[in-house]
Amino acid sequence: MEARLNNVTAVERPKNAQPWTNMGPRVRISSILTIVIPAAVFALTLLFTGMDFMAGLFTVFLPLQLLMGGWAGFYSFGKRGITDGLLLVVTFFLSLFVFVLLASVLWSVIQSGFAALSPHFIYQNNVYVSGKTGLEIGGVGHAILGTIITVGISMLVTVPLGIATAVYLTETRDFGRGIVRTLLQAMSALPSVVSGLFIYSMLILSGWSGYSGLMGSLALIPLMLPTVARVAEESLRLVPKDLRNGALALGAPSYRAFFMVTLPAAQSGIVTAVLLGIARVIGETAPILLTMTLANGTNLNPLEGGMATLPGYIFNYILLGDPTSIARAWGAALVLLIFVGILFAAARIASSPKKAKKRSAK
Amino acid sequence: MANFHLETKDVNVWFGARHVLSNVNLQFPQNEVTALIGPSGCGKSTFIRTLNRMHELIPGAGFAGEVLLDGQDIYGQAVDPVDVRVKIGMVFQKPNPFPTMSIKENVISGLKLSGISRPDAGDLVEQSLMRASMWNEVKDRLNDPAISLSGGQQQRLCIARSLAMNPNVLLMDEPCSALDPGSTRRIEETILELKESMTIVIVTHNMQQAQRISDSTAFFLAEDNTPGHVVEFGKTEQIFYGPIDPRTNEYVNGRFG
Repeated sequence: MEARLNNVTAVERPKNAQPWTNMGPRVRISSILTIVIPAAVFALTLLFTGMDFMAGLFTVFLPLQLLMGGWAGFYSFGKRGITDGLLLVVTFFLSLFVFVLLASVLWSVIQSGFAALSPHFIYQNNVYVSGKTGLEIGGVGHAILGTIITVGISMLVTVPLGIATAVYLTETRDFGRGIVRTLLQAMSALPSVVSGLFIYSMLILSGWSGYSGLMGSLALIPLMLPTVARVAEESLRLVPKDLRNGALALGAPSYRAFFMVTLPAAQSGIVTAVLLGIARVIGETAPILLTMTLANGTNLNPLEGGMATLPGYIFNYILLGDPTSIARAWGAALVLLIFVGILFAAARIASSPKKAKKRSAK
Repeated sequence: MANFHLETKDVNVWFGARHVLSNVNLQFPQNEVTALIGPSGCGKSTFIRTLNRMHELIPGAGFAGEVLLDGQDIYGQAVDPVDVRVKIGMVFQKPNPFPTMSIKENVISGLKLSGISRPDAGDLVEQSLMRASMWNEVKDRLNDPAISLSGGQQQRLCIARSLAMNPNVLLMDEPCSALDPGSTRRIEETILELKESMTIVIVTHNMQQAQRISDSTAFFLAEDNTPGHVVEFGKTEQIFYGPIDPRTNEYVNGRFG
């Protein structure tokens, strides 16, 4: 064969440049049938027998779809396709099931809470409000501030302590690590009411302090700490040892190597740790009820007097039992949900790695 | 006092109870490149890590012997390992630029990491990248993230990062094993330029590389569960063209290892 030089020019990407995603007609037809037939049979059964939706979902829809999935796999790929088809059905069904559950929880909160939601509901407090007062006045502003204050005080303790614990567990070879890790695991299994009872009996019953926001914060600390410490530990452990060694080989003392190389590399994981810690305690009700009295007015002093929090507010207003008070409780639940959502979104943006930002700027 | 810049005396290393290096006595003269060769698992990398006290960071590590830098034992009671690592820089097998820093920040990271502030940091960046022969490639993108560089550029960035600390000795643990021939050649050229101003010790699996760049060569070997040791140490030409030990002869000619 004669040797020759090829001149290469770039050509446009063809329409189908991913041959591995090509599906034959058999795959397409059997997939559609797997979805359509069980759904149709399910709908007809519900229509004619008046069967319960959930019961029908598991006794009619799921078995039928499993059968169809197995058949579709066999029809498309032969024997090896059977397990493939079955697993695909199970995976999709369960994911969809969980997604529907989550969506229905979110939907019911949004639906029931929306009635109470209005601008004044966010910033007003509850001083002139009883269970029967109409939704035109009163709000959860005081409870939002109370939640921020109590969780904030807990964070002041748990974030530095949790990260320090994670550093101890990952950066040292001390013999005490096993004990600390066991303790953390035990702490993360601690029922929140026990934490509340502990503060209640040690500090309040003994007369050392009255009910106050600070007591609530103290009761949240043991709940938040293990989450922060363990997630931070995992993220620090994921930082390659090469990086730390590189810093040490340049003559860095280990504390500088940690603060300038390891910690920035674990930044998004650390932020996640703090977030999960907040998420763990922001909705806690039991420790709050045991250590704080619910105030109707705004109280910014955590050392003295009652202070409202969103979970405490929800608990109280559900108990009052009037339609408007229940609507208020749903509204507060919706506010809590939005609050957590904003927090998560903000933290995700703040912790997105620097390199990604620079890339997109180019 | 010895005439050698860096010298080891009866270096022994253990991991747990396992003896992995036995009585290594090597001398590294000023402004020379010394290559450490030998099959995998013979303790070359372990040995090179004892030279700047990175060895002790491994859990269960044990050490006996002396490592003399300008006649001073770096394992002495009063010696801070941090000072040792400033004087004796190290480049690792896998490029490990700091991913959260830009190219420029990586070069001067050593200063920041050891808490030194210098007003001429900008000049130092240029100078160090020049010495690592990559200034022209990156001068227009100094603020880009270091991990946007290719593997070979990342490794030269790591060399530049070590050079910015102005070390007396540079240790290189298979610096080219993950790189293409072009990058390898550039790093070898860099090494030959650098030896004018420092002492270099390099671990390599590439026999041609050892012959191209080194003045002396030490052949390490660990036979049948015995600790690793130096079989032969001498001028590079002698090791490759007139080895005294038959095992060295077999290894450099590719018959085992």
